[in-house]
Amino acid sequence: MAQIKIFGYADKISVKPGDTIQFHVSADGTSTAEAHLVRLIHGDEHPHGPGFIDEEIDCAANGTWQVEKQFTQVGAFLEVADPDRKLALDGSITLCAFIWPTWPDVGHRQCLLGRWDNDRNHGYGLGINPSGRLEFWVGCGNEVDYLQAELPLQKQAWYFVAATFDARSGRATLYQEGVVSRYNSLLSKVAPVEYRSHVSEMFRFRQNNLPDTPFLVAGSRDWHALRGHFVSQLYCGKIDRCGVFDRPLDHEELDAIRSGGQPPLDGMVAYWDTTKGYTDRGIGDLVVDIGPNRLDAEGYNRPVRAQTGYNWNGRNDCFRLAPHQYGGIEFHADAMIDSNWNATKTLELPETLRSGAYAMRVRGGDGEGLAEEYIVFFVRSRMPTARIALLFSTATYLAYANERFATDGQIVQPMAGQPPTISEVDIEIYENPEFGAGCYDTHADGAGVCYTSYRRPMVNMRPKYRIAAFDLPWNFPADLSILAWLEHKGYDYDVLTDEDVHLEGVAAMAPYACILNSTHPEYHSERMLDAHEDYIAGGGRFICMGANSFCCNVAFRDDEPWIMECRKTGGHWIAWAARPGEYYLATTGQMGGIWTGFQRWGQKLVGNTFAGEGFAHSQPYRRMPDSYDPALAWITEGIEGEIIGDFGLGNGGAAGIEIDCYKLGFGTPPNTKLIASSGGHPDNYIAHDEEGAHAHQGFSGTHNYILRADMVYFEAPNNGAVFATGSIAFGSALPINGFENNVSQLLSNVVNAFVRPGPLPGSNRPRKSTAGLERVAP
Amino acid sequence: MLPLEYGRSEDRDIIVRDRFDGFRREFLRTLVNPEVIEEHRQSALGQHSERLERLLIYFRQRPLEQRYAVRAIEPFRRYQVVRLSGRRGVPPRLVDDAIYTSANDARHGLFLRCIRDLLET
Repeated sequence: MAQIKIFGYADKISVKPGDTIQFHVSADGTSTAEAHLVRLIHGDEHPHGPGFIDEEIDCAANGTWQVEKQFTQVGAFLEVADPDRKLALDGSITLCAFIWPTWPDVGHRQCLLGRWDNDRNHGYGLGINPSGRLEFWVGCGNEVDYLQAELPLQKQAWYFVAATFDARSGRATLYQEGVVSRYNSLLSKVAPVEYRSHVSEMFRFRQNNLPDTPFLVAGSRDWHALRGHFVSQLYCGKIDRCGVFDRPLDHEELDAIRSGGQPPLDGMVAYWDTTKGYTDRGIGDLVVDIGPNRLDAEGYNRPVRAQTGYNWNGRNDCFRLAPHQYGGIEFHADAMIDSNWNATKTLELPETLRSGAYAMRVRGGDGEGLAEEYIVFFVRSRMPTARIALLFSTATYLAYANERFATDGQIVQPMAGQPPTISEVDIEIYENPEFGAGCYDTHADGAGVCYTSYRRPMVNMRPKYRIAAFDLPWNFPADLSILAWLEHKGYDYDVLTDEDVHLEGVAAMAPYACILNSTHPEYHSERMLDAHEDYIAGGGRFICMGANSFCCNVAFRDDEPWIMECRKTGGHWIAWAARPGEYYLATTGQMGGIWTGFQRWGQKLVGNTFAGEGFAHSQPYRRMPDSYDPALAWITEGIEGEIIGDFGLGNGGAAGIEIDCYKLGFGTPPNTKLIASSGGHPDNYIAHDEEGAHAHQGFSGTHNYILRADMVYFEAPNNGAVFATGSIAFGSALPINGFENNVSQLLSNVVNAFVRPGPLPGSNRPRKSTAGLERVAP
Repeated sequence: MLPLEYGRSEDRDIIVRDRFDGFRREFLRTLVNPEVIEEHRQSALGQHSERLERLLIYFRQRPLEQRYAVRAIEPFRRYQVVRLSGRRGVPPRLVDDAIYTSANDARHGLFLRCIRDLLET
């Protein structure tokens, strides 16, 4: 009997009672599954904590679901809308493009552009054959004629390539010329590399076009008995301006295009000007045809725009400055931003549902291992009444979605200070590119993954999951320890997500007197960061529960908030580096990378931010002199001794994994008090010095006092305040000893003070109204 | 690898890497003693003696296909040691049938394999 595997996702990550949510499930080995809505309370199964806790919730969708195997189209490509079949050319033809292949020797055919049916061998195409050579082919169903270049293509080199076919004579030619400049390719002109190839041959027949074959760029149509039509022969690399003509262009005409001239109008059927459509705020998925038929192309699985083109001259580092030099559209054969599965079940959420973290639990067979799925989503309050909100870092969950760095990341073991601990589901996603990757991964062709989405199964946004690289609950499952603490303490709270804050700004936060965020609030769009700043400055009281806080800049489109763009640049702690000239987010036009690059250090918002990381061992905090200040004694009330948090589910201490520190020079508010601090972390903790200093001996934990988690507190305007833990491990210390411990006590002291209206304890400020905490009308 | 085989490799970096590796291994072998192994058995994670730290840094920097990992069969109960493939999409393979009842025991089993590899090659 086949092993039962269940995977799924929801179409929304944040909903309100009464909203409709769709669940998309794929199953192997079974046609039915048992589904039940659960409210998630604790997600870490560590035996020193309370273990996994959920609560079954009645709803109309509970019961037996019919499930089926669903297929996922991976790979980025462009599809041309051509209802009048202008591109079904059955006579003479020219195909041309600027290309920058990243993996010409992958070993299978890659289609650059064409109207080709790979299953039935009809149509025409220009591509790269399994030996890495440019190839042109035409097919009539029974037979295919091919013409290949004399030498393989070089990776990461710009070429202008073309194929012409004279249907009257049967002569086919290939035109291949390097357009390598001082800036645009891997090699310079000092490397004695031959790029040029010109070959010609007589074909025996003309192409025959099927009526429904789509014209594709970076792939070709295929067919499978179970899944039907799909796209194969996916290309890895960039394509700049490309076109189709209904006559064979001559050598001089092709030379003129190669040299930057306008393509001839005579015979032009389509010419996609990949530099058209840029605005100051980015570019979308539509690729504009400037030819007579306006056959625009649409990207699938988000081909990467805002990439340098063949004529990039190194002077400008952003498409906003020179859009005509940013014609590069980058394709990856394993790109995936939406599983696009059929909906398995639609549920109108009960109106009585309380705000919280929920999942549709779906089990097949015995429900063990891969036969159990939790499709996680968050329910907000329709009419906020609680004074507390727990803000889940869904942007960070997206960044890490289905990461595979335990198995693919060269640097991960030295960073983690341990070998990975790999589970069954890690192996499942490693073997199957259909799950897509996260922004910590690289594509198989070596480029960094800059798009991620929640419209696909996210196996690490589940309760119980432990990240392989560090053998810890990571992000969402770790954040449930904070939720469980709120539950245990009996606080009335709602939940929010990053998506809510991005879409609604400070209005999403304003109803709450006190907001706690997550163990790892790393990724923020500009709107999210602005909302946090306005909330705190307007009198909100904010508890930054984690570390590596407010570091990375990401972007979302308003109409597709499930997809996030992330470009890695700046700092020396990034998983991959955006290529020169490709630092800017195609979604917004803003530079990507870390907020440090914008003078928006996390310290300016919450008093501390990234000091370093090490993962394998955590430490306690030691109280600092400020904690003994009578005006601040309320924070540590009930805590005996100097040590706080010498325990925890996150490697035995409340301070560790990733840690943040206070730094006046990076904008820590000058009135910030240092309540407690860790130190003496192991040497696999390395300082992430953002001052641009050279790496040098002594960057590591036992040598460098910078490597510490600072627990900080400061008052903000309008009776606002911030308390920040500076440690990812803090949240995982809360559940120890049935939530009765000095970390829990300290957090209670802070939350109790923060939810109380009026001035903060020990405040020497004049009493002011809480005008900044205007509640949003329900 | 013989000099002739090096000559067929396009990437000369490999030659330097392997020579450096040879010197490094020669030195690291001198660091292995019963005290180091006992130190790791008692504490697989965290700060270690310089002797042990040097060995661990080396093991964690091996080419991916020469690295081991722990496989959690049942978290907190049953673990095994596997070897990474180093090839995208190809899962790790089991190295033996040994079952460990804690992650730290498995990490120590993995460490002993690394020590054996270091001493025997």
